[in-house]
Amino acid sequence: MRGFTVFGALRIATIGLLLAAALVAAMATQRSWMEAAQFKGAILTPVKPAADFTLTAQDGTEFRLSQERGKVVALWFGYTFCPDVCPMTLSELLQAWRRLDKSGQRFRIVFVTVDPERDTPARLREYAKGFGGGFTALTGPADQLARVRKAYGVVAEKHVVAGTSAAYLMDHSAFVYLVDPSGQLRVMFPFGMTIDDMVHDIKLLLQ
Amino acid sequence: MRRTSRLVTLSAAVCGVLAAGPGMAHAQTITASNAWARHAAAMGSMEKSGSMGNKMDTMAGDKGGMSMGGGGTGAVYVTLSNTGSQPDALVSAATDAARTAELHEVLKEGGVMKMRPVKSIPVPAGGNVELKPGGYHIMLLDLKHDLKAGEKIPVTLKFEHGGEVRIEAAVR
Repeated sequence: MRGFTVFGALRIATIGLLLAAALVAAMATQRSWMEAAQFKGAILTPVKPAADFTLTAQDGTEFRLSQERGKVVALWFGYTFCPDVCPMTLSELLQAWRRLDKSGQRFRIVFVTVDPERDTPARLREYAKGFGGGFTALTGPADQLARVRKAYGVVAEKHVVAGTSAAYLMDHSAFVYLVDPSGQLRVMFPFGMTIDDMVHDIKLLLQ
Repeated sequence: MRRTSRLVTLSAAVCGVLAAGPGMAHAQTITASNAWARHAAAMGSMEKSGSMGNKMDTMAGDKGGMSMGGGGTGAVYVTLSNTGSQPDALVSAATDAARTAELHEVLKEGGVMKMRPVKSIPVPAGGNVELKPGGYHIMLLDLKHDLKAGEKIPVTLKFEHGGEVRIEAAVR
């Protein structure tokens, strides 16, 4: 029949109104909705403050997470004996930092060891030097480190494995945790995220 | 006419012998390419560690490389191709650069990275396997000296069927 009828127009109008309403509602809860579309990494909801902690840095000084307000902090849990996953992630974070240029002054990479037996401050110092510096490496008493891991939901297990000359191997969660300038835990980078995606998300958090 | 045909026969015979020679000894079905290595404490990237926009705690003129006098760990990565018709596998690796070289895989289970030694790394018939970060790799334990970017370390790979292949891994 003829295309344009009153009912047809009403239907279109209703759909249009519903869509508009949905858009308005979405914009009202703008943050979470828009963010879900914007971040490349995994968004953490509900947004909670990043658990504060105090540990020892490679130069022997005390590092306290809450002192980093105003900066975006990328937290990574690993160990220096790891020849593969950890160096790869640190290398990518450092490359992301370089690409930030000036805004990189407000970005800090923090490496927390899951292997305090091997990773003394001296060893962490040498480890950081190997990358040309650029990140803070933390260690501390085993129970303190365990508390920090628990606060962030990080798994770390020591395994004595047959078939290797290594005394033990460490299994560990491989996510980078991002804390925004107001101290809230916002995003997680899964292992294998590209450097460009990292830069993208860090820039968003720096805004 | 006669001379030419004799020449042709002679050339064919020579070619035949030359072709059969190495073929008779051993058909090399495994090839390796893109071999590279990294020290555990190293950028391991093609990007130059040159000028960084904002340096935090870098040492002046630091070119990287963990100066722990050896004893550290590292990894070697390579792409292995099997042009043969039967599946093969990398069964061991050895290098003078480290006291031990082991084959490892990385399993990712629910966001937890687990590195485990493996007895062999399969190279499918007519296919290849890429040893790369986050996956299969040759782990170097107890390095005799710190690996420096630009250095080339020779590694001997042993295969189940394909014999031995020597590679030069470029340290990044």
